[in-house]
Order: sequence, then structure tokens, then C-alpha cells
Amino acid sequence: MLELRLVQGSLLKKVLESIKDLVNDANFDCSSTGFSLQAMDSSHVALVSLLLRSEGFEHYRCDRNLSMGMNLGNMSKMLKCAGNDDIITIKADDGGDTVTFMFESPTQDKIADFEMKLMDIDSEHLGIPDAEYHSIVRMPSNEFSRICKDLSSIGDTVVISVTKEGVKFSTAGDIGTANIVLRQNTTVDKPEDAIVIEMKEPVSLSFALRYMNSFTKATPLSDTVTISLSSELPVVVEYKVAEMGYIRYYLAPKIEEEEDTNP
Amino acid sequence: MNRSGISKKRPPPSNTPPPAGKHRATGDSTPSPAIGTLDDEFMMEEDVFLDETLLYGDEDEESLILRDIEERESRSSAWARPPLSPAYLSNSQSIIFQQLEIDSIIAESHKELLPGSSGQAPIIRMFGVTREGNSVCCFVHGFEPYFYIACPPGMGPDDISNFHQSLEGRMRESNKNAKVPKFVKRIEMVQKRSIMYYQQQKSQTFLKITVALPTMVASCRGILDRGLQIDGLGMKSFQTYESNILFVLRFMVDCDIVGGNWIEVPTGKYKKNARTLSYCQLEFHCLYSDLISHAAEGEYSKMAPFRVLSFDIECAGRKGHFPEAKHDPVIQIANLVTLQGEDHPFVRNVMTLKSCAPIVGVDVMSFETEREVLLAWRDLIRDVDPDIIIGYNICKFDLPYLIERAATLGIEEFPLLGRVKNSRVRVRDSTFSSRQQGIRESKETTIEGRFQFDLIQAIHRDHKLSSYSLNSVSAHFLSEQKEDVHHSIITDLQNGNAETRRRLAVYCLKDAYLPQRLLDKLMFIYNYVEMARVTGVPISFLLARGQSIKVLSQLLRKGKQKNLVLPNAKQSGSEQGTYEGATVLEARTGFYEKPIATLDFASLYPSIMMAYNLCYCTLVTPEDVRKLNLPPEHVTKTPSGETFVKQTLQKGILPEILEELLTARKRAKADLKEAKDPLEKAVLDGRQLALKISANSVYGFTGATVGQLPCLEISSSVTSYGRQMIEQTKKLVEDKFTTLGGYQYNAEVIYGDTDSVMVQFGVSDVEAAMTLGREAAEHISGTFIKPIKLEFEKVYFPYLLINKKRYAGLLWTNPQQFDKMDTKGIETVRRDNCLLVKNLVTESLNKILIDRDVPGAAENVKKTISDLLMNRIDLSLLVITKGLTKTGDDYEVKSAHGELAERMRKRDAATAPNVGDRVPYVIIKAAKGAKAYERSEDPIYVLQNNIPIDPNYYLENQISKPLLRIFEPVLKNASKELLHGSHTRSISITTPSNSGIMKFAKKQLSCVGCKVPISNGTLCASCKGREAELYCKNVSQVAELEEVFGRLWTQCQECQGSLHQDVLCTSRDCPIFYRRMKAQKDMAVARQQLDRWSF
Repeated sequence: MLELRLVQGSLLKKVLESIKDLVNDANFDCSSTGFSLQAMDSSHVALVSLLLRSEGFEHYRCDRNLSMGMNLGNMSKMLKCAGNDDIITIKADDGGDTVTFMFESPTQDKIADFEMKLMDIDSEHLGIPDAEYHSIVRMPSNEFSRICKDLSSIGDTVVISVTKEGVKFSTAGDIGTANIVLRQNTTVDKPEDAIVIEMKEPVSLSFALRYMNSFTKATPLSDTVTISLSSELPVVVEYKVAEMGYIRYYLAPKIEEEEDTNP
Repeated sequence: MNRSGISKKRPPPSNTPPPAGKHRATGDSTPSPAIGTLDDEFMMEEDVFLDETLLYGDEDEESLILRDIEERESRSSAWARPPLSPAYLSNSQSIIFQQLEIDSIIAESHKELLPGSSGQAPIIRMFGVTREGNSVCCFVHGFEPYFYIACPPGMGPDDISNFHQSLEGRMRESNKNAKVPKFVKRIEMVQKRSIMYYQQQKSQTFLKITVALPTMVASCRGILDRGLQIDGLGMKSFQTYESNILFVLRFMVDCDIVGGNWIEVPTGKYKKNARTLSYCQLEFHCLYSDLISHAAEGEYSKMAPFRVLSFDIECAGRKGHFPEAKHDPVIQIANLVTLQGEDHPFVRNVMTLKSCAPIVGVDVMSFETEREVLLAWRDLIRDVDPDIIIGYNICKFDLPYLIERAATLGIEEFPLLGRVKNSRVRVRDSTFSSRQQGIRESKETTIEGRFQFDLIQAIHRDHKLSSYSLNSVSAHFLSEQKEDVHHSIITDLQNGNAETRRRLAVYCLKDAYLPQRLLDKLMFIYNYVEMARVTGVPISFLLARGQSIKVLSQLLRKGKQKNLVLPNAKQSGSEQGTYEGATVLEARTGFYEKPIATLDFASLYPSIMMAYNLCYCTLVTPEDVRKLNLPPEHVTKTPSGETFVKQTLQKGILPEILEELLTARKRAKADLKEAKDPLEKAVLDGRQLALKISANSVYGFTGATVGQLPCLEISSSVTSYGRQMIEQTKKLVEDKFTTLGGYQYNAEVIYGDTDSVMVQFGVSDVEAAMTLGREAAEHISGTFIKPIKLEFEKVYFPYLLINKKRYAGLLWTNPQQFDKMDTKGIETVRRDNCLLVKNLVTESLNKILIDRDVPGAAENVKKTISDLLMNRIDLSLLVITKGLTKTGDDYEVKSAHGELAERMRKRDAATAPNVGDRVPYVIIKAAKGAKAYERSEDPIYVLQNNIPIDPNYYLENQISKPLLRIFEPVLKNASKELLHGSHTRSISITTPSNSGIMKFAKKQLSCVGCKVPISNGTLCASCKGREAELYCKNVSQVAELEEVFGRLWTQCQECQGSLHQDVLCTSRDCPIFYRRMKAQKDMAVARQQLDRWSF
């Protein structure tokens, strides 16, 4: 028996919006510690990792570990039916082939039940081992989103370089080039507007903007985004999900020879 | 391919390796890196080989040389043709032979036979074989090229000499270096008639112009076309007649010789020269008027014992390049020589460069230099003296390669392969283009006196296949696979030892053997000889030329009998306009569970031409219609508005040709029924087929606007009658078979196409439908002019009519048992779909039509779709092939196969497909919104890198349309039921081994039982206790996969003909190859899982 009650139902809606463009079908893993997902995007270049810890739910019951295969497109269709203030409860039986989403309005005058058929997805569990990163940049999430959007109108690859000066996002395309430099800035009114750069070693890596833009779909989840970079490791773009967890995107850096093998 | 990986997983070798010391004793057999791990197994055989070399070693050098000479002599005697009988030697017997090749040369005219003439003259050469198997070369003298022109009005017999002189003068100007005393030999007045248009007068005066050499016909025609100044008549240009006919064909027509028939030259009429010009056993000269041509009947319908040589060569290419004659040596040539009509070859040998271990039943001839190999092959050709040379792709590759290679090595005596002494074989590029076949580029290698028959060309011509590699062609026709050794491996095998070269030799022999098998199986010799006999063209024309020459040859023969001459068609460009084709009645689609009777017009177009007397010579020009004032009862006006006279005034020669063809076919079919001898049967069957094809191509000849003698008035009239008849049949059936007319039900015509009409009579048993069908056919035939005949042949029951040109049904010709399933236009035959679609459609149709089990069919489809989503489908079923017609840059729209070819070229230029190849590919998963051309991938690359295929592409773009077409008439909500049911909710997401993020990601352990991620061990907490069950499942899974792999491996070993050698084959055409690779991979994964259990 699985029963998860999330008061801030809109969180789940936003989580889904932020991954459904990258992943079509995936297994949600439920254990006593939390509700999680790991999946590659369909081109096998990026990886999404989601964790919602049990403490964040108002009520969390998970009798045995469960893997629930869902089509994220269909799941998103159902969650769109929930109001932004609704309380969402996820229910499933052990070994059942459906999952139920229950939406309660804050005033308790409307209760809706949506039952979705589960899928049986045979895939491997993947994870990126934790590592020490050379540079970590924390910045406002909407700023990052804006930068990615702007750069993608000029080129399709972004070079992110972290130096003593700050962090530089640059691209080049047929029409010209673009460079955006952000400097460390902690003297702001609101802590979420701060730009914090922790640099142990300077790094410079290039990434496909197409994926970066998909990652910024998670902007509504959190005011800040953390970008961790290391040469020879995939970049991690992390958004916190309230106090209860995170959504992390991993993206392999672009290497020139790769052009041939990965069209 | 990781070879060492494979050998580890292979079932353990059964033979124990011999002691290592023995191995070392062989000395020179250091294992080559290419065969690495396999050496253990070679040793057993190598020892045998060693013993033999030791034996040789005992003898002294002299006896070795003696032995060598003996060997050579015994070979020569085995290769040679039977000796000439004394009767032939003493010239006391008339020579009867079957000719295969006819060509013409220009040489000094024969003084003895033609005492009056001198200078250069055309001489016809005929090559053939006598009944005893002796080769014949016959020089025919005295036949002269000629053509006709219409005699201008006002020109009398007295003007001819004048005309002759001015023509001779003009000819001399334009042919300055010809060595003939006289260009225009004769001009005679003859009474002939043009074949074009109905004419009331019986004949007109024509001038027959005889010239000295065949090439002068064209230049003379040019002069006459442009115009000639004639005294008293002024500048005149002339329409020429029969001036574009090949000299050889002209000769055959005039002497009544057809391709491949028997020729007799009576005793005393032939002269032998002391100095022979050819290598043939019987070489003689005779006059064309002394030839006796035998019609192919009785004793003369048989085949002479031709010698057929089938060969294949292997070349050692450099790494990354396709072999080129400029650089890469010829290392092996395998030969098989068979006597026509016998089952087994009498010569079977392989010539190898460097030593080669013996092969049972094969004469292995090893040489130290490439020069010796090539010369040995030339000796073989000369001694065996084959009449027909066959092989696979020999015209484009093997023959030109040998010639070019010999030129590179400077072996001047090599290219003397023909039957004519001192004549070198030449190679030139040729293009062949025809409306029916498209444009094909090829090389033409002329080997005088030997007929080359390249199986790839013949199969290309007669069969539509998804791949024309020798491998897939033999799989298709012989149900036999061969191993496909990639050309880059060939070099490694050659550089190995005698054993690896033996391996290569076995492979090479197989490549020489398969063309012979295909030739026998598809009865090419019989069918082509019969076709040549029926249409009267030399056999070599059948492969090298299109359809129209065959009809032209028949027209010429018939015209000669009727005193008609054919005008030289003006090549007025391709666009003479088009005309309306056949009609297709509106299809009433659906699934019919009552018998559908099919009424067919037998040979519709030929019979229309016969019934309405449609011909060049019965067509009345609109002008003549007004002028001649023909009585209406003697003319027919066709639905397309043309006027033709009826038989009463003039019988057309096309109808006459057709009549003869069809009666001949009837006779051949009747004889076929009575024939007992299988060879005779083969000849007769080939003949009736040739007759049928020829009858049908007459119509096409009149409609070919770029052809020899197009006449759209005829072809459009034929189709207009065809349309009318289909409509009329529909009306007659629906009017007669009604409840009002006393029948049980109202009949309904549900579909009709070109020459057939499908009728539902409403009765529900097959027998009743057959009776009604017969009645209808008889009734309706009666309303048409003879010989147009509507035949009732078959009943479809049940019948699935999908739309125009697409249907499937069970075909019944007797009421007890259906004959087969018949489909048209359905994906069972299309080439650009993957095999999965073909299989699925076939299975579904079988279930729906034969088992009448619609739910079962739907269930089967669902299961397959589920397998597809779960990645349980063989990759070979998903491969799509498309022909690469141009390089990637030239495609205007990016195409999946073009882009892939381009990408593969960047990866490895050697293995990338070239223009003209068919490119196999699969569609892989990629980022959202990626185009299909970005997602195409080489199947082998996909297998090696574990790249996930995109099941949704296959579901939506390949499977869904053809399946829904079939299922929509029989199943409600077919799309929802089949494509979106619960079976689509189980999917498998495979992890690729090399892509972007996978370089960093780590696979996490998950529970063997329920797939939940765990940190260590094999099972999660909640699955504890199920160990026994899950372990057993795992073990049995591994065992099962091992068995599957073992079987596939053995299959491949059997195919390569050796059970103790590694499998090298990487054939992209072979489904077993893909299955083997997949089984190997699956087995590795399952084993890994098994290893996780640590008890």
C-alpha cells in the first residue's frame, strides 16, 4: 500500500512540467525514504534525477519498495486537472497496475479521483556518482533561464567558463557571437538574488543549448539554481524542490569527435 | 566485431589439441594474428597436410618435375573436348550444329567461294556446338547489307544508273578511307509495300540498295535523308526503309535463322582452310545460300552439350579500400565446368596464389606468382573452351578486373580468351537504358565466340528483390545461405597459412558453385534459348537489349513473307504524347465472406488486336478515310476514334504474329502435358512462357514512343477497347444475374481491373459460385468478337478488398480445397518495408483468411507489438533497405539512407555503401523532434553499440498503415484495439553502451525479483524468500539463451562448411547473423545476472 499526501500540490505539477519534455516514460521509485526518479532523455545525452523526501509529505506511507512505470505525458495530462492550491494524494496498491491521483480543494468542497494505468518499464537504474566539483555557481534561476534563452537565439552551443573574474556564458553562431559575464555578488537585498561562485579550479566546458533550455523548465520550482562544473564530468544543474528535495539534470559536455558518433 | 569475445562464448571445442611439441615441429606455421585463438583447431588438419608434404619430400626433384608434367597433361586431357570423329575429319559428313553466338566481321572476301568479288566484305561468324560436343566456327560468306527506299515518282529503270552514280559519288566523299572497290554494289527495283497505313494498291516500286559494308548503311541513309541531287528530278530526300537493322539480325531474318537453333551445312558445301583463324575444332567457310536452318522441332528442339564455365575470383584488397586492379592482386580463381543438361560439373578446380591445403573433390592448383595464376586460368579457358561463361557480377567486376590486372602486370598473352586467334579481349563501359528497366551502368567485355551470362543481370531483369547480393539471391531461390566474408578479412586469410587459404578457396568455390545452381534452378538456359527461338534474336541480345528488338525481329520476319517493308522511324524525341491507359472499376471495399467469382479476359490486349484487326497496315489515315470512301461494313472505328479496315479487306500482320504466337503457345502447352522427359519439359515450359511474354510485348512495342516503330493509334485503340469491355462485362453481369432473371440473388460487380472483373453472385458456397461464374463467362464471351474470350478461372473466398489494386483472398479453382492465398499490392511483397511488416501482414492474412480467426489475428498482432516495445524483436526484422541512387550531396531532400551512407563513409570508407548498393538501416531513438534521416543507423553498428531502436517509429510509420488497412474491414475500432491497447503499456528502455551521458553514469543494482533499486545483494527486502524460484528462473533463462546461441552458431558453421573454425561471416543480408549477434548479447547479460547470485 502506497499513500503520499502532498499539501502543496502545485509542486508536483511543476516537477512534472520540468521533466516531461525530456523523458517520455520512466519508473518512479518509492521507498520508505522518499519518492524518486532517474531517467535518461531519449537521446541518451542527459540524465534527470528527482528526489522528494518522505519528510516533505504531510502523510507518507510506503509499505514496500515500489517501482511505478508511468508515461509522463499522460501523468501530466492528469495533473493539469488539479488546481494550483489543491492537495494531491498519490495512492497505489502493491502489485496493482494503476495509480490514483486524488485532488482536494483547500476548502474540502471538491474531491477528484483520477486513476491512471501503469506501464511495465524494463530499464536499468542509472545514477551519477557524487563527486567533488571544481566550480560551483549559484545564481537566480530566472537569470539562468534568460541567459539560455538569449544565447540559443544566436548559437546552439554554450561555453560556460568559470574564472576568478566570474562566470562567462558564451556562444557563436552564423549571425555573430555573444558573451555574458556574471560577477560574484552577495550584497543584495534578497538572498535569492545573490550570485555566489565557489571556484577551486577554473573550468571551461561546452554544452548543447537545446538541453540547457529544457532544464530551465524547472525554473518555477525554485528561485535559485546551482550549476556544478568539473572538466571531464557532466555538468549538474540543480533546482531545489521546496525543502523536500531536488531535481538534478546531468549533461555530458560536448566533445568535438562526438559529432560523428552522436548525430 | 570482437572475435576473441566470440570464441570465448563458443561451445567448447570437442577435439583435444595435439601435443604442443608436434605443433612446433611444423616450423613455418606460426599462428597469424588474424586467426589468433583458432590455431588449436587447425592443427589436426594441418598435420594431415604435413604428412603429405613429407611424402613429397621423399622424392627427388626430378620425379617432382615429372609428376608436375604428368599432372598438367592429365588436366589437359580432362579439360579437352571430345575428339573429332573420322567422318568430320574426312569432310564426308554434313555439319549440324546449334549456334549460340552470331557476329559479323569485315575481312577479305573468300576467293574460292566468291570468285567474282574482291576487297573487303562482311563475313558472318557463327559459333556453336555439334551434337557430339565439338565446337564449331562457321564463316558465312556472300551476304550483303542492304535497305530500301521508296522509288520517287517519275523515276524509271533507266534513271537508276544515274542515281547509282551520284550516290556512289557522295558515299566516296563521306567514307574516304574505306578500302572497297565499290560502295554501292547494286540498286534494284523491287515491288514492295510499306507496312504503314492501309493501302488499296497491292504494291509500289521500291529501290533496294545494296552496299559493300554494314557500316555504310548508316552513312548512305544519312545522305538520302538529307537529300540527293538527281539529274532531271532535282534535289530529293528519301524516306528509307529497314535501314536501321543490325546486320546480324538482317542475316538471320533473311536466312530464317532464329537465336539458338540448329544449322546444317551439307557435305561438299563447306570448305576448310589450312590456316585456321579460331581455336574451334571445326572451322569452315560456306555461302549463306547453302545454310539449312532447322526449325526447333522434334530432334532439333534439343540442346547441344554446351560447356558452361562458372567462375569467381578473389582479390586481396588493402585495408580500407575496395580492391582495385591497379594495386591489388588476384589471389584465387575458382572454376566449375558443367556440360549443359548434366547435374554435376566435370571440372572443379581452384587456382590459388601461394600454397593451399587440399580440398576433397577439388583440383587445387597452387602457384607462387600471380602471373602463373592468371596464365593458368587462360589455359583453362583455352583447353576447356567454354561456350557459355557464367558467374555473379562477372561483367561488372570479375572479367574487367582480370583483364585490367593482367594489363597492370604486363602479361600480354593473358587477354587471349576468345575463340578467335590473336584477338585480344577488350573492356569498355556501356550503359543500358530502357523504359522497363531504368538506366544501368555496366562494363562490356567482348570475348569472341563465348556467350557471357551474368546471373546478376538476368535476375535483376526478371525478379524484383530487396537485395541482389549473391547471398540473398541464393537464400531466396535456393533456400541456401553462404557465408559473407568481408573483403577486408580476405587479405588476412591470404596472408595466413595454407589452411587459411584453403578456407578462402572453399569460400571462393562456393561463389562459383552458386551461380551454376541458380542457372539450373531458374532454368535460364532453357528459357533464354526458347525466348531467342521464339522471337528470332541472338541470345546475347536478350540480356543486352530491351523488349523492342524482339518484336522488331518478328515484324521483319513476317513482313518479309508478306512483301512488306518497315519504314525507318524518325527519332522525333521522346514526347509524342501519351494516351489513356487501362481502366480500374471503383472498388467496393470490405471483407467478403461469400465467394467472389473472378472473370478474366484471356490475353486481353493480344486478343483485342486480333479481334479488331489492329495493325500498322490496317490503319486508315484520317485523310484516307475521306478520300477512299470505304464501305462502313469493312471498317471498324475504335472507341478512341481511329479507323482500321477489317480482315475482309486486309489482314493485319500484327494480328497474324499474335495468332501464331498464341497457337504456338497452345501447342507447347499441349505438348508439355504429354512430355515425359524432364529436359523436354523444361524446354517446352520455357517456350510457352517465352511465347506468352512475346505476345504481350507486342502491344507495348506499338506504344513505346522512343521505340523502333511506335504507333499510338494502335495502342490507344487497344486500351480504349479494353476499357469498354470491362464496363460492358460489368453491365452484362449485373443485368443478367438478377432475381428478376430467375436467379437467387442479384449479382454485384465489386471490383474490376485491366483484364478482370470480380463478381459477387450472392451464393454462399464455392461450387454454386463456380457454376454461375462459368455461365457468366460463356454468356458474355458470346457477345464479343472472337478471339476475345472471357474466362472463368477462380473464386476468391473469403476476399478482403482493401482498395484499388490492393486485395487478398483465398483462391479456389476447385470446390473441394483452396489452392493458395493470393494477394496484390499488399505489403507482403513491397521491398521498402522491414521484414517485420511483411511477416505480420502475412501472418494476419493467414489467420483471417485461412483460419477465419479474426480475434486470433488481432492477438498475434498485439503480441508482436508488445515484443517490439519490449525490445524482443530480432534486429533483422527491423532492417529497412533502400537503393542508394546518388551520393548524399546530390539528394535534394535529405533521406535516411543517403545520410547514413554519408555518415558511414566518414566512419570507414571501405565498408560504406556505394552508389547502386542497397543500404540497410534501422531507425534509432534520438532527441525529440529529430528527423528520420538523423535517426537512421547501420544495423551492425547498432548491434555493436547496443543502441536502442525506436519502437514508436516502427509502430507508427511502418506497421500501423498496412495493418489497419487489413484490419479495418474486419475489426471494429481496429486502430484503438491494435495500436493503443494494454499490450502497449509494457516497454523496455535499453541502455546504450557508448552514448553521451553513459560515459559517466553508473548502473545501479536493482532487485532481480521486482526491479526496485537496492544497494547490495541480489534481492530487495520484500523479495527475500523467493531466492529458489528466481534463481531457477535465471538458470533456465541462461540455459535457454545458450542453446539458442549454440544453434545459431552451428547454423553459421554449417553454412561456412566447416565445424571447427571460427565464424567470420558478417552478412548484412542474413537474418541468422543478426540473431546470432543478439543472442550473444542477451546471453552475456543473462550470465551477468546469474553471476550476481553468490551462494
